[in-house]
Amino acid sequence: MKFLNPKNIQAIVLILVIAGLLVLALSGYLTPLFNLSLNPLISLQSWLSVRYVSVRDFLTTPGNITELREQNAILESQVTQLQTQLIEMEERLGEAQVCFALLDFGRTNPQYDYIAATVVGREISPFLQYIIIDKGTEDGVLYGMPVVIQQGLVGRVDAVIAGAARIKLITDSTSVVNIYLQSAEIEAQLQGSLTGDLFLDMIPLGEVVKPGDVVLTSGLGGNYPPNIFVGQVLSTQNRENALFQTASVQPIVDFKSINAVLIVKNFEAIDISPLIPEQ
Amino acid sequence: MILIPHIVYAILLLAVFILQTTVFSRITLIAGSPDLILLFLAAWSLNERAKYGWVWTIVTGFLVSAVSAMPFFAPLIAYLGMFIISKTLQRRVWRIPILAMFIVSFLGSLFQGFIYVILLKINSAQVGWGQSLDTVILPSVLMNLIFTLPIFAIVSDIAGRIYPLEEEV
Repeated sequence: MKFLNPKNIQAIVLILVIAGLLVLALSGYLTPLFNLSLNPLISLQSWLSVRYVSVRDFLTTPGNITELREQNAILESQVTQLQTQLIEMEERLGEAQVCFALLDFGRTNPQYDYIAATVVGREISPFLQYIIIDKGTEDGVLYGMPVVIQQGLVGRVDAVIAGAARIKLITDSTSVVNIYLQSAEIEAQLQGSLTGDLFLDMIPLGEVVKPGDVVLTSGLGGNYPPNIFVGQVLSTQNRENALFQTASVQPIVDFKSINAVLIVKNFEAIDISPLIPEQ
Repeated sequence: MILIPHIVYAILLLAVFILQTTVFSRITLIAGSPDLILLFLAAWSLNERAKYGWVWTIVTGFLVSAVSAMPFFAPLIAYLGMFIISKTLQRRVWRIPILAMFIVSFLGSLFQGFIYVILLKINSAQVGWGQSLDTVILPSVLMNLIFTLPIFAIVSDIAGRIYPLEEEV
């Protein structure tokens, strides 16, 4: 009867109670009781957890700021590097576009040989419209050679040294180009001006010139090759008692943003000045 | 050591010349643009310590005339005119050099503009007085006046640095 001593009886009762509670719990009968007792615990746990995380973040944040600053500095330097690369790529793209455009012009006008040159400077005096290029006699550039870009006529070589040349633009006030108006089938003279605007002179009074008419070089005078695009007629002026009409011309070339040009190598300018009678 | 100011001037002149042809000639107001070389020369010649200003005026004039398409050494004439104006003013308004610089910049630019128009007209260019004044001369004068102060400050500072060095030696 030693087995039924009070200690063993207590143990057996305890085991039976535990087993009973387990059976009740597993069978779901204790769920409402669990909910009732666990909800406050969970709330308390949640409250404590939030506070703990807040306190931990507060204590560990200074270290993170330093780390973040370092990361930020690294990222900023990477952004700067990428921006530099982007600018370089854009510059190269711009140069490539200019080269492709010049190449296109060369392909569409295969009868001429070209020397490609970069514009390195502009005339010092604002009264004159000249540019300076980085090719000279060493590269085969000679006085009087016509200069074009992909859009059309630019000017001609005015002075040349071994490594550079000065180009007189057709917008210069002393520049005169013999042109041909395609739709009206007439010839006239294109003149530059102080402000860089172009206008046509010597248009016969009876001829009808309309805005939009295409202006091409005629080749007369031997200074420029024929049929190079110059621009379009903007408007005509018909003054009283004038012997000829005049017209404003919108040049096809943006003379302020020329970066590279083509020099027509195999065109020899003809000097007809000895044939012009002296006045 | 006497050569140091001249070497510095030559280097500065080249730098100014390159800046003028590559950058400042592209900065336009109507059809006018600033003449950095004229301003540099004016600031240098107004400096009391700078010697042989007339020699450098001639050298600068020849250099610009060689590069420019202007006829008959027009830049040389314009710069010599500006030099005479600056020397005249230097004796009369020497107490206020910045005022003298502004006056030289204004009168020198006007003189240069008129000389250029006269010489272009002689060269049978299509240039009218009214149009030249409205579109080139006055805008150029205004732009020169804008750049007068920084150029004067830079040149004065450089001159102040190189001339004491010469005196010490």
